[in-house]
Amino acid sequence: MLLETQHIVKNFGDYRALDDISLGVRQGVVFGLLGPNGAGKTTLIRLINRIALPDSGTILFDGAPLSDAHVSQIGYLPEERGLYKKMRVGEQALYLARLKGLSHADALRRLRHWFDKFQISDWWNRPVAELSKGMQQKVQFIVTVVHQPRLLIFDEPFSGFDPLNADLLKKEILTLREQGATVIFSTHNMASVEELCDDIALINKSRVVLNGAVDEIRRSFSQRRYEVVLSDLSAPLSLPSSLPIVSSHSSADLLTLTVDLTQDASSNDLVAALLPQCHIVSLREILPSMNDIFIQTVKETQPSISSSDC
Amino acid sequence: MNKILLVIRREYVTRVRKKSFWLLTIVVPLLVAALYAIPLYLSLKPTEQSVVAIADESGIFGGLDRNDTLSADCRFVSGSNVTYRYAASLEYALRQLDGDDPVDAVLYVRSRSTQAIPTDACLYYKSQLPPQTLRYDVDRQLQQILRNRLLRAHDISDDEYALISNTKINLRTEDLETGREAFLEVKTGMGLLLSMLIYFAIFMFGSQVMRGVVEEKANRIVEVLVCSLKPLQLMIGKIVGIALVGITQFLLWVVLSGAALGIIQASHADLFHQASQRHQVAELATKGVEATSQMEQLQTAPDISPLLEGLTAINYGPVLLSFLFFFLFGYLLYASLFAAAGALSDTDTDTQIFSLPLTVPLLLTLLLMPAMINAPSGTLSQFLSIFPLTSPIAMMLRIPFGVPLSQLYFSMALLVGTFPLTAWLSAVIYRRSILSYGLSARLAARFRRKS
Repeated sequence: MLLETQHIVKNFGDYRALDDISLGVRQGVVFGLLGPNGAGKTTLIRLINRIALPDSGTILFDGAPLSDAHVSQIGYLPEERGLYKKMRVGEQALYLARLKGLSHADALRRLRHWFDKFQISDWWNRPVAELSKGMQQKVQFIVTVVHQPRLLIFDEPFSGFDPLNADLLKKEILTLREQGATVIFSTHNMASVEELCDDIALINKSRVVLNGAVDEIRRSFSQRRYEVVLSDLSAPLSLPSSLPIVSSHSSADLLTLTVDLTQDASSNDLVAALLPQCHIVSLREILPSMNDIFIQTVKETQPSISSSDC
Repeated sequence: MNKILLVIRREYVTRVRKKSFWLLTIVVPLLVAALYAIPLYLSLKPTEQSVVAIADESGIFGGLDRNDTLSADCRFVSGSNVTYRYAASLEYALRQLDGDDPVDAVLYVRSRSTQAIPTDACLYYKSQLPPQTLRYDVDRQLQQILRNRLLRAHDISDDEYALISNTKINLRTEDLETGREAFLEVKTGMGLLLSMLIYFAIFMFGSQVMRGVVEEKANRIVEVLVCSLKPLQLMIGKIVGIALVGITQFLLWVVLSGAALGIIQASHADLFHQASQRHQVAELATKGVEATSQMEQLQTAPDISPLLEGLTAINYGPVLLSFLFFFLFGYLLYASLFAAAGALSDTDTDTQIFSLPLTVPLLLTLLLMPAMINAPSGTLSQFLSIFPLTSPIAMMLRIPFGVPLSQLYFSMALLVGTFPLTAWLSAVIYRRSILSYGLSARLAARFRRKS
């Protein structure tokens, strides 16, 4: 584990923002921190960045209690991010890189590399105010990763990015993981979770309600629903009651069926029932999307909305 | 520590590089030079001649005396700025106001019927108000002639008059311990200057700290910064960086002002020579006929030597050291509080609300200055010069008058002792508020709900 939180509690006055949060982030994974607005994601991220301290519980970084010395090994891209408008781009990147503990020469060399990579070197001497929003985001991304931190934290990284830059960012996140970095990112974009994340934790109402590897979670949410594509039906299809057809759809000479397996049936039983009647073109399990899992879990753990809140 | 240095460097470099910094740096010495040069040029510029027609029906001021039997000191005398013409009658004089060779004003003195001495005279003009120098000159000569007439009427000789008018008794205020004179005016001036300097410095640079904090908050760069360094480091770096900017600016002002004044003096050496000559002539002519308004000023201006004596009587070492001390700690105290006010605000308009509690003690000290000057060792002065939020300004006002060392040290100790407290308080407020937004909106909502 690169990062481990043990029974973290954080209160803001009477409000408990985080309640007994215990999570582990494995070395070299992309870890998705999910949850509806106000669930406590940003608070948790601030605790990891030591911007705030937990009321109780401990955070371990690489096995040792998290301390200020670890801050240089963490790169953080906040959700609401800004730059000094009147400062020059290069000078500002240099300043922020040096605050992360890089020497002047080191920071300059690495920044030049990144600026070339993102093709914004021409902007080095321009004031930030002249940059487009997309270009400012590139600069912000660069200053987040320039000190080659072991842990990268992106809070809603795609918000405000155009699809082109979002794609660039995704590629860079995966490249950084390949180079050995561990990435935590919080997002509402469930498609990007399926695309990028190895592990996730879902926080709702200040508590962890779901935690684990994306594949396992999706499998655990399996509704035992299969999609089969058939051809060469000799007679109208009939299936036993243990294999109810949820929907069917035919096009040309292909028939696409969605079948839910009941508790006492297996996918082998489905194949066995179909084999004598037709040709099986394909068969696959339909796993619920992260989006569905998110909505389902949040609704289940949501206490009924009382009228006094309104 | 290294990070604080980086912050200090950024605060310093970005501010010193701004156009506004250099504009202010250049404008102030130019203003100083202008303040110095403009009166000089004006005094040397040949002034326009004004003409006054005199219609004197009383005869006191030489109007009816056509034989020139009267001595010269009972007639109006034309000077370098004003020429006087006697007119036979008021009508004739008034006609001259818009004649071919117009006069600027007509002086009319009514004929005396019952009273022996006229108490009333009038200066008529048409559409264009005559210059002030003209009015001064007329008034001065009226009084002088009247006085000369009275002296003559009561048979008082010039020597006797001089003896009466020049005899004065001098009241000194003396310190028994040092046996030296108090020179209260000089000390008041010095105290006012020093305390105003501290007031402006605290206000100007304190609000710069505040605006810097709000800027970082408003554009959200603070979110990026706080994961690299502690809020306290950011706050300290900003406060120190801006203090260095202030010191740089102040030094540049001193050097540039000095240079500007030096250039003026060097390039216009002849003018200065002329000026000093004119003053000499004026001095020589004090009792003579040639009287200009300048001369009048010279006569009424206080003798410069007590001022110089007073200036040398002040012990500058301790005053300067105290100034530096109170400037430094006054700034630090207020800058940290201003930083907290900035952290509480989201926008520039918010800062006006949150900085109000800080401007009140500053303004109050300023408003109470006259009362403190009246009694530099009074209860009010003592309180204000010991209370840490007012002591930097109030103590600087008192120091030239002499402050018991025990009080001075107590005030200093209290200021130094308060600083960690306010810094801690500010740091807590700063750390808690720097990442939260909408406090003023929340407060407003709370008040709305209550009402």
